[in-house]
Amino acid sequence: MSYENDPKSPYYIDNRARVAAIQASMKARGLDLYLGSRPRTLSWVLDAFCPWRSYLAIPRSGDPVVFTFIVDSTRLADETWLPLDNVRAYAPMGGQDQVSVISAYVTEELGLSGGRIGAETGLSVYTPEGNLSKYEWDALEAALPGFALENAHELVDELQLVKDPGTMARFREASRMVDEGQKAARAALEGGGWKGMTETEIAGIGALAMRRAGSVSEWNFAGLNEISSGYRTALGACTPPTNRVFQAGEPLMLDFHSMFKLALGDYSHNYLIGPASKTLRRHADNFVDLVDTVLKAYRAGRTPSDMASVMSARAEALGCADYVYPGCEHGIGLFGDEWRIGARNDGPFPYWTDPDHVYRKDEMLICAMQYAAPADSVGFRYENPIIIGEGGCEWLSKFPLAIEEIA
Amino acid sequence: MGELFGYLDADWTAEARKRLAEALDPEKMNGITTSMADIYEACPDGRMRWMFVRCEGGRLASFEVGEGEAPEAEFRILGSYETFAAISRGELGSQKALMTGKLKLKGNMAKALRLAPLADRINKVLSTIPAKY
Repeated sequence: MSYENDPKSPYYIDNRARVAAIQASMKARGLDLYLGSRPRTLSWVLDAFCPWRSYLAIPRSGDPVVFTFIVDSTRLADETWLPLDNVRAYAPMGGQDQVSVISAYVTEELGLSGGRIGAETGLSVYTPEGNLSKYEWDALEAALPGFALENAHELVDELQLVKDPGTMARFREASRMVDEGQKAARAALEGGGWKGMTETEIAGIGALAMRRAGSVSEWNFAGLNEISSGYRTALGACTPPTNRVFQAGEPLMLDFHSMFKLALGDYSHNYLIGPASKTLRRHADNFVDLVDTVLKAYRAGRTPSDMASVMSARAEALGCADYVYPGCEHGIGLFGDEWRIGARNDGPFPYWTDPDHVYRKDEMLICAMQYAAPADSVGFRYENPIIIGEGGCEWLSKFPLAIEEIA
Repeated sequence: MGELFGYLDADWTAEARKRLAEALDPEKMNGITTSMADIYEACPDGRMRWMFVRCEGGRLASFEVGEGEAPEAEFRILGSYETFAAISRGELGSQKALMTGKLKLKGNMAKALRLAPLADRINKVLSTIPAKY
C-alpha cells in the first residue's frame, strides 16, 4: 500500500499545512529545530502508523525528516506522505545509531552550528507517551555542543486540539466500525448465546466484526478490547479480557476499540445478563441517566470542572454519587494522542487535564464515565468520542445508549 | 603466484575498473543508479584516500581512487585503511564492519539497506584482485 491522500477525499489532511503551522510556532518561539518523539506527534505529522521509537526532526523550513528503527523504515516510507529521502533509519551500525544520525542531520545537512532545539518531555499516566528519556536528552546535548534542548511539546499539543474536517471524518468512520463490533457482540450474546462464552471470546467476536468493517487495529494499550464481567466490572479501570465464563444475573462491559487512518474508535457498552436483580437494574438506570445528562451538557464554552459538577449534581440527585468516579472525559486525537485535555501546563496539576480548559468548537474528547459499586459486584463504563459544537456535541458512536438485559 | 597489484595504486585501480565492468551484471545490480565513496583514514603513508564508485542503470559508470576531498556521493563510508583492506581481502564483511563500528556510514540507512547486497558484490569482485597491502 502506498500513501493515499486525495484532496477530494473526506479523509484528506493537508500534512504540509500542519508542518507549516509547527514551523510558524517554532519561529515565534525562536526554535531552530523541533524534535518530536511522541507517537501523537508522529501520527499527526507523518499521517502514518509509527510504533517504534522514532525521531521527527522539523527544520525551520522545508519538509521534516524522520528517523525510525531500521526494520520498519521501508514500511514507514511506503505509508507516509514524506518523500523517500526524508524517511531515514537508525541502526546499530557505525554512524547510524540514533544520536549519530540526528546530530549529523543537524550539523551536516542543515549546516547548523548552534541554536535551540525543541524536544518533548513531561509526565504521563500513559506508559507509551514517548517523551524523550533523560539518556536521549543528555546524549543529544553531548553530541550537539552549541545547542540547547528545551521542552516544547505544548507547541504541537496546541495545534492538535481543534480537529480539521478530515480528522473528524476519520473519527466518524472509526466509530462506525466500532458500532459494527458492538452489533456483532450483541448478536452473539442474545438468545442464550452468552452461555459458556468468555470475555476473551466476545472480545474476539467484536474485533473480527470491526476488522471486517475496515478497522486495522484494536489499538488500546490497556488490553485492546477491554472486557469485564461480573464482579470484575466493579474493579474500575482498564482490563484485558480474561477467560472468565459469563454467568446469569451479572453485568457485562464491552469496551471496543477500532482504528481507521489513525483515528480511534472507542465505545463502551454495558449489559445485564438476565435475570437482573432490582439492585443491578437500579444501578444501570442511574448510570444511563448520568451519561445522558452529561452528553447533553457538552458544548463550547464548558470546562472539565464544569462538566464534573454537572455529573456530580445529577449523581447526588439520583443517590449514586458514592459510585461515580470523578471526571467525565479524557482527551483524544490521532493514534498516540490520548488522555489529558489542554495543551499547556497551567492547571493545578502538571500534565493532568486542565480543569479550567475552555472547550472550543471542533475540539474532540472521549466522554468517559466510570461507575463502580463493589459491594453489589457491579460497575459500568461509558466511552464515546464526541465533537464539541457551539450548542451541543456530536457523539460519534451511534450505538443506542442503554443497558439492556440480555436473555 | 602471479602479478601482485599495489592496493589502491593506479594499476590496481585500472584492474579493479576492468574487473568490475566485466563482472557487474546490470540485471543482478537491479538497474541501480547510485554512488558511494569509501574514505580511507590513516593509510600507511599517513595520508587519507578515497575510493569512489558510481553505477548508472546497474552498470559501472565510474571507479576512481584519489587523495584529498572525495567526490560528492550518495553514501560516504568512513573507516581505517586496515578495515577497508580487510574487506578488500575478503577477510571482513562490510556489514560486520558497520555493525562493530569499524566503519561509519553517512547517508540514508533505509536506502543503504537495499544497496548492501550490491556493495557486497562490488567488494567480492575487488577481493579477487591479487594485491599487496
